[in-house]
Amino acid sequence: MGVMTIFSLPKSVRKLVDKSFEHWLSRRIPTRKEHQLNSRNIMIYPTRFGLSYLGFVVLVFLLGTNYQNNIILLFSYLLASLFISVMLHSFYNFSQLRFYSTAKQQGYAGDELYFPIQITAVKMHYDINVHFTDSTLNSQIERIVQCPQGSQEIKLSYKSSKRGMHCLGRVTLFSEYSLGIFKSKTILDFGHCAIIYPKPTNLIAGQYQLSAQSDEQSIESYQTSNLVGTDDFSELKSFVRGESRARTAWKQLAKGQGHYSKHYQANQGQLKWLKLDDMPSNNIETKLSYLCFLINELTATNQHFGLALSTDINNKSMNISPNTGINHQQACLTALALYS
Amino acid sequence: MSFFKRKATQPSSGYLGKGKNRSKINFSLSRKNAWLLWLCQCLNIAVIALELSTWMLAIISLSLVWQALLLHQNRDRVKAKNTIKSGTQADHRPNTHLHKQLATNVAPVLLGMFALLGCLAIAITAKEVGILTSMLHLLCFSYVLKAFELKARSDFYQLLLLGLFVLASSLIFRQDLAFTLITFILLVINLAVLLQLFSMEKAFATNIKVVVLLLGQSTLLAIVLFLVFPRLSPFWQVPRAKSAETGLSDTVKPGDIANLTRSTKLAFRVDFGQQKVPAYSQLYWRAMVLEDYDGKQWSRQKATRTTLSNKATGSDKSSNDKPLTFDASTTDVLPLNYHVIVEPSFQKYLFALTPAIIAGDKSGINPQTGFTFSSTRIISQAKSYQLTSYLTAPLALELSKKSKQVNLRFPEGSNPRLEQFALQLRHNYADVEARAKAVLTFINKEKYAYTLQPPMLDNNSLDQFFFDTQSGFCAHYASAFTFLMRASGVPARMVIGYLGGEYNGENEQQSDSQGHLSIYQYDAHAWSEIWVTGKGWLRIDPTSAVDPQRVNSGWSSELLQQQSALNNDLISLYKFKNSAFLNAIRLQLDALDYQWTRWVIGFTTKQQYNLFKNLFGKMASWKLALIIGVSLIISMATLMLCLHLLNRTKHTQKVLSKWQVVYQKALAQLAKQGMDKPAGMTVNDFAKQVREQSPELAIAFTRLSASYNSLCYQTLSIDEQDKLVLTMQHHYRQFLHILKKQS
Repeated sequence: MGVMTIFSLPKSVRKLVDKSFEHWLSRRIPTRKEHQLNSRNIMIYPTRFGLSYLGFVVLVFLLGTNYQNNIILLFSYLLASLFISVMLHSFYNFSQLRFYSTAKQQGYAGDELYFPIQITAVKMHYDINVHFTDSTLNSQIERIVQCPQGSQEIKLSYKSSKRGMHCLGRVTLFSEYSLGIFKSKTILDFGHCAIIYPKPTNLIAGQYQLSAQSDEQSIESYQTSNLVGTDDFSELKSFVRGESRARTAWKQLAKGQGHYSKHYQANQGQLKWLKLDDMPSNNIETKLSYLCFLINELTATNQHFGLALSTDINNKSMNISPNTGINHQQACLTALALYS
Repeated sequence: MSFFKRKATQPSSGYLGKGKNRSKINFSLSRKNAWLLWLCQCLNIAVIALELSTWMLAIISLSLVWQALLLHQNRDRVKAKNTIKSGTQADHRPNTHLHKQLATNVAPVLLGMFALLGCLAIAITAKEVGILTSMLHLLCFSYVLKAFELKARSDFYQLLLLGLFVLASSLIFRQDLAFTLITFILLVINLAVLLQLFSMEKAFATNIKVVVLLLGQSTLLAIVLFLVFPRLSPFWQVPRAKSAETGLSDTVKPGDIANLTRSTKLAFRVDFGQQKVPAYSQLYWRAMVLEDYDGKQWSRQKATRTTLSNKATGSDKSSNDKPLTFDASTTDVLPLNYHVIVEPSFQKYLFALTPAIIAGDKSGINPQTGFTFSSTRIISQAKSYQLTSYLTAPLALELSKKSKQVNLRFPEGSNPRLEQFALQLRHNYADVEARAKAVLTFINKEKYAYTLQPPMLDNNSLDQFFFDTQSGFCAHYASAFTFLMRASGVPARMVIGYLGGEYNGENEQQSDSQGHLSIYQYDAHAWSEIWVTGKGWLRIDPTSAVDPQRVNSGWSSELLQQQSALNNDLISLYKFKNSAFLNAIRLQLDALDYQWTRWVIGFTTKQQYNLFKNLFGKMASWKLALIIGVSLIISMATLMLCLHLLNRTKHTQKVLSKWQVVYQKALAQLAKQGMDKPAGMTVNDFAKQVREQSPELAIAFTRLSASYNSLCYQTLSIDEQDKLVLTMQHHYRQFLHILKKQS
């Protein structure tokens, strides 16, 4: 963008230009997970050094003309044609590269997120630089000095302290290889999106109480979730033929109290609803942070829980019915991230 | 002119003003690059060193040494700095990954003082050394100083461009083939240093290879540009190089020519084309006629129009019309056409075999008195012109009174013994020619010696030479002879120029020889002319009386030996001439350099025009412009095509069988979907992978793979093969169908 920044157009005009450029770009390079560089998506233009190089060539030409010196003229012609061959080299260094990147990454606020971009090359490429196009993201330029034949991965980092879903827009890839005279650039759209969960905040046990819902739906789910487990002892039942002998309550049998077998119940039997309103804070962001912490805690201990972001328990779009596992955790965290 | 200044002062002010956020970038070169840059600077300066003053060179080498010391010191600091810096660096330029941080920055105040002092010195000496040299001083000084403040990448770029400019300006002074080659090699090195910035991990040698490749690809377009791009006339007056004049000077003391002959530098070259080269003793290349003698030295007559009368005989045209040129229509002597290419001598005189007229382009050449020619400008680069000579035609059958007066004048009493001798001669030989012959016989009979190391003469006394020391070089003999003739009442004058030349070509004697004559500084010569009624000016070379070999075939081996002893050069001409092999190489190089001088350095607007005329015939200027444009476009397209092909050839394809083609097609389709088959994976394994990744395609692709496998690895009859290929194609179509559905 070095060339563009030189001209400081009035804001309205600039906006218009930007907008039409954006439009043109989205038609030219549509969102895709994988891009192959070719003449369609490579932009190539002289860098500032390239322009000064051209000026320099003109200077040498003037020197040669004024001194009527054929060799200096030849020198300047050679430099001028070098300008063109460097352009082609720059293009060929950049083309035929393939980039693949997954679109979505999740993480907590304040954490560094990495967007891996896989680069596949069929020959040696040099000086590949990658960064997010959006300058407000303040992304660092990642550089591959030498990109040999085969696959390589480059990671773009993104960090945000604000929860929510952030569309990171396009990724700029450029190379100034050969002599820095030309910049081959492409602005690819992988549809990169970052889902930023709230930052988990510790919540001391006892500050909250998980509430079991009193409505039928919840009872139902209570019963279904009352699975036979192995964790906690719950009761003794009369022995039924076919039951494992390992479960026999030997103590009772020895005392002559009859043949019972031990029954255990898993911990998750306790149905839990995480409710936004129950969180001990007035600030909605803090509440969400607490929720985030709880979700992680419960998942870590493999417990069943549901998430209720709305007071109305039947609001299915806002609530997530109790479940367990990583997918469930992600769904819940995503819901927290997107809550507004 | 002003651009020099701008270029040179630019580095001290911020570059382009803009980009504040980027100018604070912490830029530093890796250790290897820094040293390479330093080396490159040294080389660039070395190329132009001859043109710089000694004190400037001292300053520059001081700076370079300082720079080297800083670089060396940094080696120890690198490690300590590295650990501190790596944590704090969070800037957003690609150079952050450079671990070897080299700060060659000196305190700005110190540097500023140094720069100021240097500029002051340049300004003070400007008058003395001339504008061009002080500009060069400024350029080189800023080039060296710039290296101390490499803070951003743009500083590096500026330094590099400055270096290239130093290279370009060194070409102002010398353009011969060897020097040009050196300059272009340095260009390659400079560009490789730049390239090193972008491909650090490669060896410098590979980078040089890449740059050579790049330049090689650029040559086509460069040559086309050179041939077709219009030559423009200078836009503004530029300061000329004030180099030392080489060659003959317009005043000659007896010992002068002997000094000149120590130089083995080329003076000029002559191409006789298809004609036979005249005999060695005919090759008297006339440069200047010296008519004034003041008792010590010979100098040129202050030219005034009225004194001239150098018309050839029988010219009935008025003397105002063409007073200086020989009239070719009056003679029936066979003309001899030749082409002269003069090396830069920083003087004005040109060379000709008299009498001659200018053939071809007359611009820039002035005929002078005494059948000589001179350039309108100081010759600061190779200049070529064409002449037609009528070797045996008489010179100036009429002699004006004034001219006669001038050519008889001598300071009486300056050489009394010679005057005495002259009177005696006059008495003994009434005939002028017989008198001249008598002197030559006298010289031949007496013990005169021809030597490069003549004894010193008191006050340049000719008496002393002629009667006492009796050894001298051509100028001694010519001076004494001319003096004698004048004293005996014969109009005589001294002519200086060159004698002979070295033929470089296949066979000198063949008429269709393709070669040229090289005349070196050691061929410098002085001879006399006497005016004889009815015959005009006659050339008399007293050297022929003392050393006939010099006149007939060139230097004797004693002379060569003397020269090599005097020169103390590592590569002396004597050694060269003694070794046939070395001499052959030298002649080859000379021939190359000749072609270079003739076709590249001497490529003028006129030649460009002729080239077009030869190629396309005479035409309107718009057509010319069209041709220029078209040829540029064509060459650019060729360049692109070449590069394109070059990039394609990397995956050369073997001849594939039908099924292989089909399978490759299927693979390409899958690759588009993001499923690449690694080279090492077997067909079956890949089919399995496809099954996992996209189950829809699995059936079709597995079938395809199975047929492919059996076609490749089973021994089948041709019929079976054809059948299988057909089924495979069928599978492929199915596969495509599914793919289409998917998308």
